[in-house]
Amino acid sequence: MSDIAIQIENLSKLYRLGTIGTGSLRQDMQRWWTTSVRKKADPYFQVESAKYPRQSLWALQDVSFEVKQGEVWGLVGNNGAGKSTLLKIVSRIVRPTQGVVRGRGRISSLLEVGTGFQPELTGRENVFLSGYILGMSKPEIRARFDEIVAFSGIEKFLDTPVKRYSSGMYVRLAFAVAAHLEPDILILDEVLAVGDAEFQKKCLGKMREVSQNTGRTILFVSHSMQAVTNLCNKGLWLQQGKVRALGEVSQVVNQYLADTQQSNLSQSWSTPETAPGNDFIRFKRVQIIPQQISSDAPLDIRVPLTVKFEFWNQLDDTLLSTNLVLFSNGGECIFDVPSAAVVCQQGVVAGECTIPGNFLNDGAYYISLFVVKDTTTALYDFENCLSFELEDYRGDIKWYGKWWGAVRPLLPFSLTQTESVLS
Amino acid sequence: MTTGTDTKWDWEIKEKTSWLGSSPAEFWSYRHLLVGLVRRDFLMGYQQTVLGPLWVLLQPILTLITYVLVFGKVIGISTGTVPPVLFYLAGIVLWTLFNDGFTGTSATFSENAHIFSKVYFPRLLMPVARLVGYLISFGIQFGFLVLVLAYYWLFTSWRAPSAFGLPLALLVILLISIQSLGLGLLFSVLTGKYRDIRFFVGLGTRLLLFLTPVFYPVQHVAPKSRWLLELNPLTPLFELFRWSLLGQGIVTPGQVLYSVSFTLGLFLLALLTFNKQGDKLMDVV
Repeated sequence: MSDIAIQIENLSKLYRLGTIGTGSLRQDMQRWWTTSVRKKADPYFQVESAKYPRQSLWALQDVSFEVKQGEVWGLVGNNGAGKSTLLKIVSRIVRPTQGVVRGRGRISSLLEVGTGFQPELTGRENVFLSGYILGMSKPEIRARFDEIVAFSGIEKFLDTPVKRYSSGMYVRLAFAVAAHLEPDILILDEVLAVGDAEFQKKCLGKMREVSQNTGRTILFVSHSMQAVTNLCNKGLWLQQGKVRALGEVSQVVNQYLADTQQSNLSQSWSTPETAPGNDFIRFKRVQIIPQQISSDAPLDIRVPLTVKFEFWNQLDDTLLSTNLVLFSNGGECIFDVPSAAVVCQQGVVAGECTIPGNFLNDGAYYISLFVVKDTTTALYDFENCLSFELEDYRGDIKWYGKWWGAVRPLLPFSLTQTESVLS
Repeated sequence: MTTGTDTKWDWEIKEKTSWLGSSPAEFWSYRHLLVGLVRRDFLMGYQQTVLGPLWVLLQPILTLITYVLVFGKVIGISTGTVPPVLFYLAGIVLWTLFNDGFTGTSATFSENAHIFSKVYFPRLLMPVARLVGYLISFGIQFGFLVLVLAYYWLFTSWRAPSAFGLPLALLVILLISIQSLGLGLLFSVLTGKYRDIRFFVGLGTRLLLFLTPVFYPVQHVAPKSRWLLELNPLTPLFELFRWSLLGQGIVTPGQVLYSVSFTLGLFLLALLTFNKQGDKLMDVV
């Protein structure tokens, strides 16, 4: 099959934890003396194994897959899943412990923005130097120089040392060089996590253009599922160094999201003694029920969420109401809504509230429930009792930057042409 | 797997590292990077300095003045028939090449870990670029030496040897460069793994200076302790350098052969070690 660009077979990488190679000649000599000459146990190995039972870590284990020419692969997984190790091996930076990677064509890897940039040198010199390091030749850079400068938008500062640049300018110039690389295979690691929203949009647009119009093979690691789904056509999910899933990107991403959403969607307590609360109120159950058909699909911003709760009430003839307070992950209050106030007796009181779909922006949220007496006195504040995460969904919108705002409601919003030159 | 064994791959990454390293074709494709790195080292070396590239000449001149004062006037080491200024300058210029070439390339892995861990290119380019930079500085210093030589030849009674010795001087320069790069490559692997070797590099070169005829001629060393000097493969090269340019030096073809074979043997060993160990080092540095 000649259309395979990269073939990865049984790739494994073992990292030794701690500093087994002690890093100092004296200690290594001492170790050699004890183990090889006196035939005793390794002194350093023992010390560390008592402290850390696991001596080594398989960053990658038996990873095999094939990348065809022109395919754009998105690599997803938690931190430490082995994504970067895989990219480093394919980029020839580190050697695998086992297995083999074979391929065709010139590879350029972009594991960091601004590799080889020298703060002392000017922007112009750095464009060339960084281009050379990434594998471009002088004529190639010359031919694209104007394009690179225009893309970065720092024409005026081209002859200023980059150490005087703002960090944004620095990143823009660095990415501009990298974006104009023309290898057969491009390897990208999280490079989009930098720069402002506008520049990220520009980068993604450029990458989309590169991948779709030139038929280049790309391996892409990102934590932005939105970017992965939109740019890639194949996905690979790594978990603790092993392949969890691979195939069509949307399937892989959905499986990954469903697995990793760190949400606390329900809690319940069987007796008032163990339940959170005080002498007046004890919570029995709190729960978020997503109003969607398939339960494995990740929660996205379109899904309505129903919050249900029950509490034991110890007070007779009391006017009770409950506030539902929603916080963003950053601790900002998005809204605080009160329920109707009802006169309750001792026993169990239940409540229900629905947060509509197409209302919240994407992100992580948590909920606090607040029980109030006579609509004035706080009885109990059950803080952070529930949390959930909403994934992004943009439909046909071809913009992938972070969407602004605490909420993203679907409002009646129309656009009509009222006058036309033609008519 | 759908692939047959007959498929041709452009590249292959395996567990084993190669002794031979990158192919000449690969080096050629990175020639622009080499030029860029040399340029970078040069520009970086003199950023925000007052005198800039003048330091290339100031350093040997200041060393020369010290040598003339200390070794010539205070201690009174005889330099034979050669004027002390010429004698010391020849030694200083050649020693600077060796010293810079060795110390400058001996930390290749530890100094460039941040680049090496992010992008691939033939690792050998880094030390070679360094050496090329030092050779350029050396060229300027050597030109200065030739000027001083011309001055003495024209305005004093001292007579320079015939110009036929010049190719020998060039051979010495080549051998010194190869030897310093060889040592540098070998030590870059060691300093990459063991940081404390770095101190040894600094100390070692300073001590080696005393075992090399830089500020004294071999002819003034007592014959019974000359063997110590002759063990040092740099000794014949320094003597040959002075002999070819200044017409004074004690060296036999046998000693030169010893130096040449040491240099080539060392370089081969260093190159193989550098290639073989270089990729593995990325897990350590």
